[in-house]
Amino acid sequence: MRWPVYIVAVLVAAAFDASFGAVLAVGDLRGHLLPSVVVFALLSAPRRIGVRLAMLAGLVADLLAPIVVAQAAAVDGGADTAELLVVPGPRVLGFALGALAVLPLRGLLSRHNPLASAAATLVFSMLAAVVFVAIFIVRGWVVDGGTPWWPGTGGSEVLRRALGAAGDAILALPAMWLLARTRSWWGFTVMTRVSPGLARQGGVNSA
Amino acid sequence: MQAPRFIRFLSGRRLDWSLAALALAASLAPVAALRPWTADLARLVSVPLAPVSHLGVFLRARVRPEQSAFDPRAPETLALEQEVRQFRTLYEQSRLENERLERSIASLAAVRARLDGTGQRLAEASVVGMDASRRDGAARINAGARHGLRAGSVALVSGDILVGVVGQDIGALSASLIPTTKLPSLGVRLYPPQGSDPSTPLNSYPGAMLKPTTRGTWSADVASTQPLSIGMVARLADDRFGRTALGARVGTVVAIEPIEKAPLARRVEIAPLASLGDFATVVVVVESGEPE
Repeated sequence: MRWPVYIVAVLVAAAFDASFGAVLAVGDLRGHLLPSVVVFALLSAPRRIGVRLAMLAGLVADLLAPIVVAQAAAVDGGADTAELLVVPGPRVLGFALGALAVLPLRGLLSRHNPLASAAATLVFSMLAAVVFVAIFIVRGWVVDGGTPWWPGTGGSEVLRRALGAAGDAILALPAMWLLARTRSWWGFTVMTRVSPGLARQGGVNSA
Repeated sequence: MQAPRFIRFLSGRRLDWSLAALALAASLAPVAALRPWTADLARLVSVPLAPVSHLGVFLRARVRPEQSAFDPRAPETLALEQEVRQFRTLYEQSRLENERLERSIASLAAVRARLDGTGQRLAEASVVGMDASRRDGAARINAGARHGLRAGSVALVSGDILVGVVGQDIGALSASLIPTTKLPSLGVRLYPPQGSDPSTPLNSYPGAMLKPTTRGTWSADVASTQPLSIGMVARLADDRFGRTALGARVGTVVAIEPIEKAPLARRVEIAPLASLGDFATVVVVVESGEPE
């Protein structure tokens, strides 16, 4: 797999999500392109680098989504104000777990079928969301550093992200079709297992 | 000799686990440990994204224009109304400023020192990226320290609607905006939609400290005997955001309900007039002089 192509695709998808993506939102149901790109790569890239490439995309997603934390002195005058904080990690781990779930599914899914890819995207996004919420809940206990869903609750965030995962899966349908058209750019190595048999042993008919 | 062995050791599954452990450590690191470097790293990543994001925001503005574009009234009427609102804001700003000066006359010297130091102007900035994971998330604009932007500067849309505050991570050419609905508190005064009456003292208009709700609105307990009505306009009356922001419109009262435990107070719900995510450009307050 060509890493530069993957990195460019991740950056473009992240930029798309951060700008044009809002147009595709229907209430809380909002699809993101980034999970589709990661799942597309996961379904065809070598297994040994699957988790790593998912973590890279997670890092980009984390860096582009700062959270608001209550903090003193963000504004002249003192306490009870807010500041932005970039926490690199929650989506890295979420995407890693999503990748660990999708990689074993490769054998069961037809990578050329957009519905199968959308199902993989749904699984990926759901797991990434669960880890994301869990990490911030643990972070709240450990360092009390604020949560991205403030002033909402963790429960409402899980629901919102479940809807978001559904949106990701819906968006994956056209996105996977589009990405499949670029398959030749990615440099995926297709390994086809050849089983030994009479026809391959040769000489059956000639004998 | 050591390096290749180490690299061999740190490969395959071990590398994945090491990266995961690193991510977990960063996830649970305290704010003080993350603040010095993560914002810089995020800015570094956002640089190559800026052209694509900018194009995306431009296309989004074409596909889903700002709501004012859908207003059926004539554009010149809208422009005039906006002008009236801006002048009303300037008027409210001057009244609030006047009250503030009267209140702090004892510390006039300090106030004068503050005034002498402020050389502010307004500048337009484009939104070049938004937090993709949430509608009320932070936005990134293409104005930064080089343009005179400071942490805590306000961002306005439609002339006088406050939508955000500049966060701490200001780069040379870009900065992040915290939406007003994410600020822990916001001091406002509530006015009738037609504005305040010059003959009525300012104290007659109830003040409120807005707290964000889970619905994307604010709520506030108003301990005032003055009449409250739905449609009242909340204007910023919070010195923390600087003189320029005083009087800016924040939201409108959408619900009023009594508080059982405090019969003399009422709880109001205020909906924001505009959302940062709906705009492709904002007006920010920047310092015209040398940065401090």
